[in-house]
Amino acid sequence: MIRREVAIVGIGQTGYAKALPGTAWELAVEAILAALADAGIDPKDVDGLCRFAAPFETVSEPQLVRALGIGELTFFAQSPLGGEALGAVIGHAAAAVTAGLASTVVVYRALSQSTGGRFGRADSRGPGGTGAGTGTGVGADPSAHVVVAEEDNRSFAWPYGLVSPGQLFALWARRYATVNRLTDEDLTQALGAIAITQRRYANGNPNAMMRDRKMDADDYRNARMISEPLRLFDLCLENDGACAYVVTSAETARALRDDPVYLLSATQTISPYREPMGIYVTGELLELFPPAAAARLFADAGVSRKDVDVAEFYDATSYMPLRSLESYGFVPDGQAWRYVTETGTGPDSPLPVNTHGGHLSEAYLHGMNGVLEAVRQLRGTASNQVADPAIALVGAPAGSAMILAR
Amino acid sequence: MAIIPAATDLTRPYWDSAGHGKLVIQRCNNCASHWHPPLPGCPHCHSTDLGWQPVSGTGTVYTYTVVRHATHAALAGQIPYVIAIVELTEGPRIVTGITGCDPRDVRAGMEVRVRFEAVTDDVTLPYFEPA
Repeated sequence: MIRREVAIVGIGQTGYAKALPGTAWELAVEAILAALADAGIDPKDVDGLCRFAAPFETVSEPQLVRALGIGELTFFAQSPLGGEALGAVIGHAAAAVTAGLASTVVVYRALSQSTGGRFGRADSRGPGGTGAGTGTGVGADPSAHVVVAEEDNRSFAWPYGLVSPGQLFALWARRYATVNRLTDEDLTQALGAIAITQRRYANGNPNAMMRDRKMDADDYRNARMISEPLRLFDLCLENDGACAYVVTSAETARALRDDPVYLLSATQTISPYREPMGIYVTGELLELFPPAAAARLFADAGVSRKDVDVAEFYDATSYMPLRSLESYGFVPDGQAWRYVTETGTGPDSPLPVNTHGGHLSEAYLHGMNGVLEAVRQLRGTASNQVADPAIALVGAPAGSAMILAR
Repeated sequence: MAIIPAATDLTRPYWDSAGHGKLVIQRCNNCASHWHPPLPGCPHCHSTDLGWQPVSGTGTVYTYTVVRHATHAALAGQIPYVIAIVELTEGPRIVTGITGCDPRDVRAGMEVRVRFEAVTDDVTLPYFEPA
């Protein structure tokens, strides 16, 4: 049990923008130093690093040990599956601290899509460029066929043009509409409600890339279709930036500051044919975060759904917060589409969601900026501050989640 | 320019069969369960005595998307195109494309049947069309 055994004692970030000067390495160093300064911890005292696995996170442990002057790392771990790992990386940090394998663990995510490739592209303009599985490399003969190596069923998907995450999530959203007998108009209203609500949050958040860009229902509807039923503003931003936070024992955290944010629970999940972002599922494609995993998340935390004051859901697309309301048990299955249009997820709703603007309108950082937002909410320092929150949930659609408390 | 699969020892029989106009899925010779895509052993009884079972090539559209924005240079000329997950009559689901109809006419639950399309001189892929 890790409940209240560890805490987030510092957070840090770079600015977020379509293109920032500096490599992902430089961005990582900036965010980590900011998090350590926020915590009041000397960088040389860091002894643990937890991160998203390559190819998502490209900044390595040795790069950071050298650049930060870390004395010695006694624990380091990587979590696969991209944003699905947002609750895994903190779980590993917490396990290390409670097991005595490390005392001061930094979790980080640094991203330079302007130099490292756009997630919205699957060819040489995408992540990795010439790397394995990305198709045509820079300088490749443009008339040559793209041969897709088999890896996680990719060779069964790419030949049909299923090459980008947004297309997979469009398949999920269509399935949701089918199972719940929604018209295209019902689905448009539901996804639009999420995108517009998050944009309004971003308009109140100086950190958000979309802080100055208003969006109304017409703007949302009139945007071009990317992969039906998802339109341009149903998809997340592509950007540069970095986030980091520092995990220590609760005792250390209390000695460092008055307002540590405690980890109540962190849950990972994977089951047969139920890979996060899996295409081939034998069960219902809609079952993203499994009910058993959600039950474990809340039981380990010792709280119930009604105790949660604010939720930050990973949102590579607007569909994910919609379905996350159901899979985490806040709204009954098949009712979130109505809930988001009638009750909503805005500042005055029972459960404000993605109060920073999310990946749709603040910036995309594999869920890490959602963790930072949850910490700010619990400290009472968020731009769109929820009234006196005590408990926050940060969750990925399918792979992992955490519950935090002040 | 087409996007084609690199066959592995595990997946080659599937693609080779498609090249001969046959849709097959992997089957356990010990417990008779079947699945797709291929696995190194049966996930139910763990037998490695596996074979390939021809299927009817009929099914229904489980879910789909009409792609209107190309995210890969090789797909630019195909916009709009339809990605679908088809539930085969025999049970397993496969990722495929729907051709032979206007993309606007594709619906979830629609009955479809396999049609084989040569995408290069050497590679034929199973697509689906309205039944």
